[in-house]
Order: sequence, then structure tokens, then C-alpha cells
Amino acid sequence: MTQHPTSTHDLRAIRQLGGARLVAPAVLLIVAVTGTALVTVVATSLGLLPLVGQPRLSTDGFTTLAGDLQAATYESLLTAATATLLAAAIGFTIATVVVRAGRGVRLLVGLAVAVLTVPHLVGAAATGLLLSDVGLAQRWSGISAASWPELVGGRWPWATVLELAWKESAFVALVVISSVGRQYADLREVAAVLGAGPRAQWRRVLLPLSAPALASSSLIVFVYSLGTYEVARLLGRAYPEPLPVMAYRLFTDIDVAARPQAAATAVVATGLALLAAVMTLPLVRRLRADR
Amino acid sequence: MRRQAAVRWRAAHQSLRTVIPALLVFWLVIPLTPLLLWAGASRWSGTSRLPQDLGLRGWQEALDAGMIAALARSGLLGAAVALIATPLGVMAGRALGWRLLRRPALPSVVLLGPVVLAPFAVAMGLDVVILRLGVPGEVAVVLVLSVFALPYTTFTMRATYLGLDPALEEQARVLGASSRQARRRVTLPAATTGLVTATGLAFLVGWSDYAVTLLIGGGQIVTAPMLIGSSAAGSGNDALTSTLALSASLPPLMALAVFTCAASRRRTAVHS
Repeated sequence: MTQHPTSTHDLRAIRQLGGARLVAPAVLLIVAVTGTALVTVVATSLGLLPLVGQPRLSTDGFTTLAGDLQAATYESLLTAATATLLAAAIGFTIATVVVRAGRGVRLLVGLAVAVLTVPHLVGAAATGLLLSDVGLAQRWSGISAASWPELVGGRWPWATVLELAWKESAFVALVVISSVGRQYADLREVAAVLGAGPRAQWRRVLLPLSAPALASSSLIVFVYSLGTYEVARLLGRAYPEPLPVMAYRLFTDIDVAARPQAAATAVVATGLALLAAVMTLPLVRRLRADR
Repeated sequence: MRRQAAVRWRAAHQSLRTVIPALLVFWLVIPLTPLLLWAGASRWSGTSRLPQDLGLRGWQEALDAGMIAALARSGLLGAAVALIATPLGVMAGRALGWRLLRRPALPSVVLLGPVVLAPFAVAMGLDVVILRLGVPGEVAVVLVLSVFALPYTTFTMRATYLGLDPALEEQARVLGASSRQARRRVTLPAATTGLVTATGLAFLVGWSDYAVTLLIGGGQIVTAPMLIGSSAAGSGNDALTSTLALSASLPPLMALAVFTCAASRRRTAVHS
């Protein structure tokens, strides 16, 4: 029996139509909500949507507080970059121990999943109680409160970075573990048979195998850290503040003239995150192809 | 001589194999210990190492602050977000995982997009529109958080569908099941783990949110994170903060434990 040539074609067309129908609701919801929000934020930052008065195109939102905006951008980038490096390094170490079936694997995976379910706000409150100058670390270390380093609200955002690194290291670990999984066990056996020692197995097998997951999860950690409000709000200092904290402060200012500045801050934060994504995605794609 | 060095190296390597996992466990556990201690302390002044008096003062104050109602509101918010984001994620994940789209690149980018966007920026932009249109704050918060939950549900379900054979559903159709019956009786039961993970992640997006609820709700929607935030930022009442933080962390952890137990029991049942 020969199959009619158009029947498979029709079948594929029907399947594709079905596919389009399946993604449509999710895509439409995302486009409607984020599209409206982004257009409004950009328009507000350019003075086109004032709460009171006439709309007037201007870049005042960006220029009035240019110095503060620059300091906040620097603070945000510093926090996000350090937190991402730490989270990636520790997360990958956790993943290495787990996929090599080292000691305490079940405990480590269980703890990582548990940490993932804890809200960042809870993590921030707990980190404050751990690292402040009357915190648990100070009490248990026996260092006097006066000589305790300014980890919370100090010159350098230690507490913010550590909280983000703590929770996101669990995220990186779980993403890497689930992407490498069984494949590593098989390849590792082959590598061992071919005479590769533990270090060579790590460098030549595990690292390239987990590189795409490590890169993409690091990107997610970086953009998350750029956009998070509550952690820096609780653990950071008043000035310079990171972009989300600055945006929220200006947004809730009683002076409605601060609205374009708040929106400009949000535009900068969004622009930085998009830029990071555009710069990293080709790398992720190349790593995946190399794998 | 060389043998001695090799033995020493092996011993060092062995101890490293114990030390590194122990350090990692320490790293994951230590940030949460202050919560446990402070939640059980009724007096812990000065710089003493342990609380002077144990007690449930923090819990009493948390109850007075409206903890139960706030937890219920957070639960409702999480459930509402899961109710929207999970079915939409299942549909989109099915299309992406089973390659039902001719050009999956653009939908994939859109569906991943919210990961890159800062929730505070989206909430800030929508605030004006919501005010002008008269949309209730609760509805707007649920919609925004559903958008941020969609990447998680979609890509969890995409991975799940990638591991499932579409032929099973087709066989069910051949055996006389309607397409709906085939989906419900054949595919969805096989996708349970992915489905529960997706639902859990979407629930957590609603349950843990602070920034969106604060910005759009303007402090009117008092969820558990709102209480924690205001206590941690200004009260200096560490027992209260710890109790609130702990009570917001325990329900998801307990749900996780129950699910893990059920899953491992089912696995052993399948194996035996």
C-alpha cells in the first residue's frame, strides 16, 4: 500500500497548527503583560507618561540623577558578578561531589532542594541575623561587636553577595546535576577504562559536559541578582544602593517628579540584563554544540 | 620513599573526600540556623552565645501580627499562580518537547523572556496601567507572577515531554480513546513527576514573592513575605522575624518531604 504524498504533509500541517495553538496562550499572556509594562516604563522614563502635567519628551529622567544612576549601576554589577562567580563555583563543586557519588550525596541533594524552596526574603532575614554585628557569627566567634567587620550594610555588599550566592549555588548545582546525570556515569566509565585519572575525568569529561548548563544557569543567576530588590534592601547600605532599591525608593517618593527617574533606573536595569543575555547566549549555544 | 609519598597523598585525598562534602553541607545549612535558635528564644540579649530563656514569645507575637491570615493569603496567591501557569506551561511544554512547531525559536525566546526581566521593573510599568484601567491589585499581582512562573513551568514540562514517547498516545487513539482520553489517561500519568515539579515551582513563585506584591499591592495585600519584610527591616524584634521567616519556609519544605516520600515509595512499588 502506498501512502498518499499529501497525507503526511497534511498530518504535519495539522500537528503544527496544533502546536501553535498550544503555545499561543502562554506566549500571548507574556507578551501582553511584559510588553505593556516595558512600553510604559520606557515612556515614563522619557517623560511621556507623567502622573500630572503635560507629556514632554525629555531625557531628564536619566540625566537628573546621572551620578547616582552610575553609582547604582556599578553597585548592581559588582554585587551580581561576585554573587554569580561564587554561586557557579560552589554550585559546580556540589554537583561534582554529587555526580561522582561522593560521601553524603543524598543529604547534599536534599539540602540543595530545600534551600531552593526557601524564599530569598527569608534567606536575607536569616543572613542578617547571622552576619550582623550582634549576629550569631559574632556571638559564637567571640569577636567583640566593636571589632566585628561591617558585613551587613557596610562599605562592601558582603551580606547581599553571600545570601545570593548561598541560594543560587543550590540552583546551579541542581541544574548541572539534572543536565549531566546518567551521561556522565557512562562516559566516566569509558574514560576510566582508557586510563584517565580522577582529575582528567573532571577536566576532560565533567567540565565540558556540564559547561552549557553551568553557563546558562550562571546567566540566570546574574540577571536575577541584577533585578532582585528584597535582598539588597534588607542587607545593603543606604548609599550607593543597587538599581532595584534606588528605583523603588524613587517610585515611592512623594515627589511625583521622581517617577521618570524611577522608570529610568528600571530601564537601565532591564537593559543591562538584556545585554548580559544577548552576550552570553551565543556562548551557551557554542558550548552545547561542542558537547 | 615514593611509596610513602603516595600513601600520604592518598590519605590527604581521602580526607579531602570527607572535608569537602562536610563544608558544602555546612554552607547550605548555616544561614538557616539563626532562625531556628531565635524562633525558640524568648530572651537572648547582649552577646551571649545561647538564649538566656527559651520560650515561644516569637510565635505568640507572630500570631498577634496576623501570621495565619498572611500565610493563608500567600497560599492562595501561590495556588492562583500555579492554577494559571501550570496548564499554560503544560500546553507550551508539549508543543516544544514534541516538536509540534515549525519555528520554535521565537516562541522559545518569548517563553524564556521573563527570566531576564526584573520583576520590579515589570510591576513598576504595569502599576500606572492598572490604576488607569481599574484592575484590582490582587488580579494584577497574580497575572504578573504567572508570567514570571511560566518559564519554569514551560521548560520543566518541555523536558518532561522530551522524555515521553508521543507514540503511546497515538496507540491509545488507535485503540479507540478520544484525544482527550489519551492525553488524560496515558500521557499525563506518565508525566506526573514533571507536573508536580512544575506546579511546585509555580506555587513557590507566588508564595515567595515580595517585590511585585509590594509594588502593585502598595502594602494593601499582606502576605507572609510582607510581614517578614516589615519585621526584618524595622522592628529589631529578632524572635518575631525568625518565627515569621520559619513559618513561611516550613509549609513548602513539608510538601516537598511528603512528595519525595510518596515518589520513592511509588518507585519501590514499581520495582518490586
